[in-house]
Amino acid sequence: MTRDRGWLGIAAVGVIGLVLSLALTEHYHHRILTLVFLWATMGLAWNIISGYAGQISFGHQAFFGIGAYVTVLLAAKLHLTPWLGMLGGAGIAVLAALLIGTPTFRLAGIYFGLATLAYPLIFRILMDFLGYQEVAIPMVRDHPVRFMQFEEPRTFDLLALALLAATLVLSRLIETSRLGYSLRAIKENEQAAEAMGVDAFRCKMAAYALSAAPAALAGAIYAHAILFVVTPDGVFGVIAIVQTLTVCLVGGVGTLWGPVIGAAIMIPISEILDATAGDRFPGIQGVVYGATLMAIMMWAPEGLFWRLRRRPAGVARTAPAVHSPADPAPLPPVAPGPVVLDVRGISKTFIGLQALADVSFDVREGEVLGIIGPNGAGKTTLFNVLNGFLLPDRGEVRWLDAPLTGRPPHVVCRRGIGRTFQVVRFFPHLTVLENVLVGAFAHGAAPAAAREHARAALARVGLAGQADTLPAGLTTLELRLMELARCLATSPRLVLLDEPLAGLSADGVELMAAMIRRTRAAGVTVVIIEHTIQALVKLADRLVVLDHGRRLAEGAPGEVTRNPAVIEAYLGKRWLARHGPGHAAPLRP
Amino acid sequence: MLRLSGLSVSYGGLRALEDVSLEVNEGEFVAIVGPNGAGKTTLLKAISGSVRVGGGRLEYRGRDLIPFPSHQRAALGIAHVPEGRRIFPSLTVLENLELGSYRRAARGRRAETLDSVMALFPVLRERRGQAAGSLSGGEQQMLALGRGLMATPELLLLDEPSQGLAPRVVEQIFETIDRIRRASNLTILLVEQRVVEALELCDRGYVLETGRVALAGTQSALLADPRVQRAYLGA
Repeated sequence: MTRDRGWLGIAAVGVIGLVLSLALTEHYHHRILTLVFLWATMGLAWNIISGYAGQISFGHQAFFGIGAYVTVLLAAKLHLTPWLGMLGGAGIAVLAALLIGTPTFRLAGIYFGLATLAYPLIFRILMDFLGYQEVAIPMVRDHPVRFMQFEEPRTFDLLALALLAATLVLSRLIETSRLGYSLRAIKENEQAAEAMGVDAFRCKMAAYALSAAPAALAGAIYAHAILFVVTPDGVFGVIAIVQTLTVCLVGGVGTLWGPVIGAAIMIPISEILDATAGDRFPGIQGVVYGATLMAIMMWAPEGLFWRLRRRPAGVARTAPAVHSPADPAPLPPVAPGPVVLDVRGISKTFIGLQALADVSFDVREGEVLGIIGPNGAGKTTLFNVLNGFLLPDRGEVRWLDAPLTGRPPHVVCRRGIGRTFQVVRFFPHLTVLENVLVGAFAHGAAPAAAREHARAALARVGLAGQADTLPAGLTTLELRLMELARCLATSPRLVLLDEPLAGLSADGVELMAAMIRRTRAAGVTVVIIEHTIQALVKLADRLVVLDHGRRLAEGAPGEVTRNPAVIEAYLGKRWLARHGPGHAAPLRP
Repeated sequence: MLRLSGLSVSYGGLRALEDVSLEVNEGEFVAIVGPNGAGKTTLLKAISGSVRVGGGRLEYRGRDLIPFPSHQRAALGIAHVPEGRRIFPSLTVLENLELGSYRRAARGRRAETLDSVMALFPVLRERRGQAAGSLSGGEQQMLALGRGLMATPELLLLDEPSQGLAPRVVEQIFETIDRIRRASNLTILLVEQRVVEALELCDRGYVLETGRVALAGTQSALLADPRVQRAYLGA
């Protein structure tokens, strides 16, 4: 339903653009129309990397400029038609994006944005250095069409409209694809996305390359329709990025309609102000433009699109809260299977703090292993080593008899180890179903199949009724269930659950414990971290106790809670001295 | 002096405290112990005003505290030394201490209070010009304590002063708390994971378990009660 609406919207933009182009007669109006289409295209291009993937680029005019320069230089030097030249420009822009992205995506957040500022500056200096301060488009009077030299101003806006439509289609395809969901997941929580099998680096590179091409094509058309003489300042300058950011911020980021809305409003305002008020009151156009921009940003800080759209109500919901699906029959005690995960001598030191010291244990197929220890014992660090967020200083992790140490999180996930987080890391702007979908894409399924898989995972945890709400409307219990579903959607053989019971009510603990047993019954091996022992005593087959980064004890739950070393870790040496271990239990270090 | 009745606090859907009732009398030293995640820190935050109370009553000297924002509660004489110390690392030791005497009642007596705090923690006098971030963990904890005392509080809330410190340093910190207590008739509410150390210092104690008061009693009663262990280990 929403899918068709998306395509209908693109068709509507095309029809409206066409009608405007045919209806307008004045040369000047066609110029404005061309600019609206071009800056909307630039906005859409920027939106792919910065809107969907959240990697804010302040240097996107680098690709705009490359498109303009390459096309015009090919025509001027090699007499190549710009129709082919602009494809060459787009190709070089994509190549440049890959070259730029390789080092730059190693930077996170604002540092990425700052680094991107440098690239257009470099290109400006390079053009100056090569002597291309001014490159005029060669006049070819005998082949005007072949060299994109039209008398009829309508031709340029139709050309720009075609590019806009193509970029809208590209954005739409990205939005509904596996890549699109991965990008949105990266934007909202990169670590969680990685843990769900998303290769963040490759996804960002793909988005960057895809966003460079339309920018380059827009630059080429801009050169022919507006500039006629290409200068470093004209295409690599600040104006180009300011226009791009303005149309996106006014219209809304992270949606294909934002840049279109922003361009349709802001470009005509700025052009008409320049032409009318600028003559009589020099400078007034800047004041009015700035005031308009401020007014819109104050009223709609996230952009007009998000302000006007009725968001799916995350809070109001009709479906009842979680209902526990009938419990499976009581499980027979699990016979310990073969060792699947083998952790040997793991050590990890943070500046001066030994978080893990020579920790070894193994996990057998089909068991529920609990890892307990007071706060600061190194439990979460251990999980971060197991799923690839951290590289251990020493030691080895083996999974199914193959080395796993040093593999990045998305590879660990794809090999069958899923995880959840101590504080649920959900993707707040994705619906519950879409959150789970990110996990379901781990093995590269097609969108339709992944969607079915995600629905099934939600049904397994009893959240089918909440599929289309936003996570903000869920309770803590429901969020944890959603995260479990997202983890199960990656089809793991082993799951690492980081404090799944923390902060739940007694009923919640019961329900979550039932879900964990059911997960195990479905053949998934479970490793749970908890700092409270009570809950795990009934749930785990075996406990490993960590304290100050060391393995303190290991054994059956009843045995471990009577272990003097464990009592000392939790209550202190002096408590032990006063009370003794209770019923003495054999020590198994 | 301080009375909580039926207090509950939740974050989102997460119940951190449920129906907690306790009281602290003038001049008393009360300890709250319990395993991690029991709600100890939340309890102190509710008293000092950095989390919103969901239900129940909170009275200080017979006055309802709930409508007061946290800075006004500080002005009433409640000083909170938070978990993890929260000193200002780029300011000097002296500047950190001076910021502690921000509340009006403390400003007039600043020089005097500073002298007594420095006497209590000679190491802070030695390092007064040093950036607080360059202190060791134990020294930072002393600075946090000193900063709390600079407000000349009537009620001192201490959140896990032993956290992340080596055993020897922990002993030192607890000794200092004991000295502070003997030197003034300050009312202290201490939250700790280290059961024996905390209970040995206090007059009375409460054991918190998953957001509820599981046990309450005098120092000696709690120290002898095997049920305390159950709150930690469940068996």
